[in-house]
Amino acid sequence: VATTFARRLVEALGSDVARTEPVDLAAYGYDGYKEGGNPSAAVLPRDVRDVATAVRIARECDEPIIPRGAGTGLCGGSVPVKGGLVVSFARMNRLLELDVANRRARVQPGLINLELSNAIARSGVFYAPDPSSQKISTIGGNVGTNAGGPHCLSYGTTTNHILGLQYVDWSGEVHRTALGDAGYDMTGLIVGSEGTLGLVTEIDVRLMRLPEAVRVCVAAFGDVESASEAVSAIIGAGIVPVALEIMDRLITQAVEAHYHAGFPAQAGAVLLVEIAGPLDDMDTGERLIARIARDHGAVSWRAARDAAERAVLWSARKGAAGAIGRIAPNYYIQDACVPRTKLPEVMLQVERIARDHQLQVGNVFHAGDGNLHPLMLFDRREARQVQAVIDAGSEILAACIALGGTISGEHGIGYEKRQSLSLVFSTQDLAAMARVRDVFDPMRAFNPDKIFPTGAVCGEVAASNAA
Amino acid sequence: VIASNPFALGTRLPARVEEPADAQRVATLLAQAAEAGSSVVAFGGSTLQSIGNLPRRYDIALSLRRLDRVLQYDPRDLTIGLEAGITLESVAGALAAARQFIPFDAPLPRRATVGGTLAAGWGGPRRAAYGQLRDLLIGSTVALTDGSLAAAGGMVVKNVTGYDMSKLYVGSLGTLGVIVRANFKALPQPAAQRLAIAPLGDEVRERALAALTRLTIEPTAALVVDGFFERTPRVHQEDTRLVIVFEGSEVVVDRATRDLRSVLGKSGVAETLLFDGATAAAVLQDTIDAYIEPIEDRSITYRSTGLASTVWERALTARAIVLAHEARYDFIADVRTGDAIVRVAGKTARRTADLLNEVDAQLRDALPAITVLAGDPRLRSQVDAWSAPPSTMQTLRAIKERFDPASTLAPGRFVGGI
Repeated sequence: VATTFARRLVEALGSDVARTEPVDLAAYGYDGYKEGGNPSAAVLPRDVRDVATAVRIARECDEPIIPRGAGTGLCGGSVPVKGGLVVSFARMNRLLELDVANRRARVQPGLINLELSNAIARSGVFYAPDPSSQKISTIGGNVGTNAGGPHCLSYGTTTNHILGLQYVDWSGEVHRTALGDAGYDMTGLIVGSEGTLGLVTEIDVRLMRLPEAVRVCVAAFGDVESASEAVSAIIGAGIVPVALEIMDRLITQAVEAHYHAGFPAQAGAVLLVEIAGPLDDMDTGERLIARIARDHGAVSWRAARDAAERAVLWSARKGAAGAIGRIAPNYYIQDACVPRTKLPEVMLQVERIARDHQLQVGNVFHAGDGNLHPLMLFDRREARQVQAVIDAGSEILAACIALGGTISGEHGIGYEKRQSLSLVFSTQDLAAMARVRDVFDPMRAFNPDKIFPTGAVCGEVAASNAA
Repeated sequence: VIASNPFALGTRLPARVEEPADAQRVATLLAQAAEAGSSVVAFGGSTLQSIGNLPRRYDIALSLRRLDRVLQYDPRDLTIGLEAGITLESVAGALAAARQFIPFDAPLPRRATVGGTLAAGWGGPRRAAYGQLRDLLIGSTVALTDGSLAAAGGMVVKNVTGYDMSKLYVGSLGTLGVIVRANFKALPQPAAQRLAIAPLGDEVRERALAALTRLTIEPTAALVVDGFFERTPRVHQEDTRLVIVFEGSEVVVDRATRDLRSVLGKSGVAETLLFDGATAAAVLQDTIDAYIEPIEDRSITYRSTGLASTVWERALTARAIVLAHEARYDFIADVRTGDAIVRVAGKTARRTADLLNEVDAQLRDALPAITVLAGDPRLRSQVDAWSAPPSTMQTLRAIKERFDPASTLAPGRFVGGI
């Protein structure tokens, strides 16, 4: 029996846009972190008008609204917790405008990250944020979580590359923001707000000019700690390459088995370095970094010969999490960040925590940013293992906070980490954030049960979860 | 008396000046002012206080100058935590010891403070190369009118932990809260810096500017300066000059200079003057100082923002409007960021006041995103500092009401009277 809500959506948008059958809805109940319940309905809008219509109907029926890109999020951010309307941007996936002279493009939120870069590559420009999920994740989803990626080390995360937005507010009204506007920076607030402030329907992105030269090098180390020491030393010497990534032996072997990319599979840890810029700087840059790496225990060093080999190395690195599927039935990937000098110390602690909980951990991470991603292997059918993963995950976050770090570098807070937010921020800090939420979303219509902790953290925050 | 008072705003003086020594005290003062119905204007070095309208009420000047410490700095992290009242020059000094820098690119760094520069939403010429200040800001603490201190972000370079509140306070002109702490990503200092100045006569201009966009090694700053002779040297008696900055390794800067000379030469540019190291930095700083430099009490300076590809056209449009009123015209067109800085001055303050209403209306008509940046307070009070409010004005107003319900903080200074 169709509910009033479902009937109204279908009436207004047609059954091609509005999905209300359980068999269809199952596709919108999960992300890379968790399986939730089915939403009450899902819509696949064709344009901003469809989005506004869906928002108005959902509000009138008092249903929460959950935006969704490709569903690759890793913190439950796009998962419906208590029914509601999932708005999938899969069909709003076009590149609308490309302005090479001013290095900007306007895109729809459902455009896949890599497709943007591929579409514009011949124009001599590129879109810098490159999360490992870039082959499937959408720019809209990336905006929601302020996604990072290996190349954010020198180029910055998504928020540094967004020039303006169009969004639909809780009442179904459409607004446009731009960085040059007089007034408060609405663009900067919305990026990284995980779909809790409105539904982004167009995105103006900043493009960068392709560098004259690129070099990708691979170094082998005895263990993760010495590779981490090398990374801290490279940054400490005032060298910021384009990317500085570490993979430990477990990850490297899984990756090699799958991709045959040529990583030294016997090494305790592999450091992947990319430098880019004027051709004249490549040799000196490589020499300098290689020397620091050797001083910190690198046993081998080699540079990729050409663009094809570089592409294989990056493809393998970005496929690391997937390759782990060969080793264990399930894995859980943690995301946290520490000051760069604390990297060796935190990696030792991760190792100890895993040992304490008898867990196998792989490490594949954006070392140059101090952004770690311990990947814990487990079997979902074993309750003890599941509990161990949860406990170890919390201990790793606590260790990062104790070292002056934070609980998410690029994946977001979502559903998963909302209770941990109060470990990083005081009641006063959270109250200021809740004020922004109050203004943008007074009815708590957008993605409730995300980011903000539940419970009586403070009046405003508690209220934000009451709806 | 008023002119010499550092806390004067237009013709108004505050009833009281507060100079708290710690962040908690700033928050307490704000709460007390809100309770008492007084209004507060935060002060750093007063270098960019000319941005925005004069506040409707002005009771308390809140100076941040005693919050002037480096709170946290391990050069190996390439991050730094600062109190808001520290001057840009002091920050540069602390970072230079480890060959690091933050490209504030703001006028008068000896006086300008970190908090003031952020609150003003300042963006200088090298932001096209190094990112905007908002992009380098990784954490902040603000004092709010309910007496609380609210932190956001942290001391890590990647962070999606809660809302990115720092973005809200950057450019808010002290109308939501008072920034008391700012954490930044620092950048490694390039080994070499070179500044080139070339005469850019009308006959070569178009070809030269087109050639610039084809350079393999991009300049970190590229400005066309017309006038501002007291700040930026004249070359070959030409009023219009191209100011280019290259930064990087020695070998790259040398190559960039050769390429530049070659393309400019082919475009018909007679000669390129070069400055290195400290001299280059000084010439760049002088040019940035010019952005807000008044001519006695008879000038007003506008900033027009927009696409880089339209900056020259906007500068010419503004020139035509100003010259038609027989006023003096100086401008800087930033061909990388799209900023156009336009200074208008009559022969006397009276003359400027007479022509200003018409010039202002025509500039606004021709250049939609235009704001007042600097100038004599009397001239500034004659016009609206802001262009038309953005489409999100209702939301901006609601944010102001939520953060500052009693309109304690610089009421009326910001766009739309918030």
